[in-house]
Amino acid sequence: MIHSVGDKLSGFTRKITQERVNSYAEASGDHNPIHLNAAYAASTKFGTRIAHGMLSLALVTEMLAIDFPKTWHSGGNIKVRFSAPVIPGETVKIHGEITDITETDLGLIAICSIGCKKPDGTNAVVGQATVPLE
Amino acid sequence: MTTPLISTAAVGHEFGPYDVTISSETANIYTKAIGGFESPDYGDAQAPLIMVAIALTKLIDELGIFSSGLQTIHAGQEVGWVRPVKIGEKIYAVGKLAGNSARGNNRFATVKVCYEDKTGTNVGSSSTTIIVTAEQP
Repeated sequence: MIHSVGDKLSGFTRKITQERVNSYAEASGDHNPIHLNAAYAASTKFGTRIAHGMLSLALVTEMLAIDFPKTWHSGGNIKVRFSAPVIPGETVKIHGEITDITETDLGLIAICSIGCKKPDGTNAVVGQATVPLE
Repeated sequence: MTTPLISTAAVGHEFGPYDVTISSETANIYTKAIGGFESPDYGDAQAPLIMVAIALTKLIDELGIFSSGLQTIHAGQEVGWVRPVKIGEKIYAVGKLAGNSARGNNRFATVKVCYEDKTGTNVGSSSTTIIVTAEQP
């Protein structure tokens, strides 16, 4: 159980394969060819297929569900920006840390820095989460 | 080529309601896409971001972005939850355009979405900011 400022969240690494991207497209209905069609993607500014940003964000929210299993889905909030695309084949690092704990009318709230980093350390997703503490 | 809605829609324009009810089949495919050995057990609840992803796809379609040959960059995302949502639970998403401005050859748009159950009770909300590139003159 984590409850203190400075505590690291249960980050993890995960390889984003093209198979994951294909499955994500099927589940979400987002069949944008920039994610799926190699020939089309080669003509874009990225030069290759890229993963859905929401796929990377989904991994970040998995971390929050692991660390705050009873409260993330009941009062949790996130605010992020997508800084760089993840290329299928890359292994990303999901990370987070409690940066503050504040008392509100609803009780104690943990404020966390959260993100998803590419293999070279650049941010793919970066932002903040607020989650009620039990 | 018809003018895409993104080029003309005014702030306050409403989208939906979209049915974003998640079937067990869709939930399983989603789990296959994002899951790993560390993944939490959500029980009979769904991984919450899937509703946001499906609503976003429907929004992009209604805005006419891909059908007009435009491309979009997902720039920012906010999400908040009131309670867990069960797999198969009827949920509707209602969107409202909160920002839509042109800068150079790009267009910046923000859409806020509320997620409601069958009683009309709010279960969550999201806000998506996209940058639409190469807009047609």
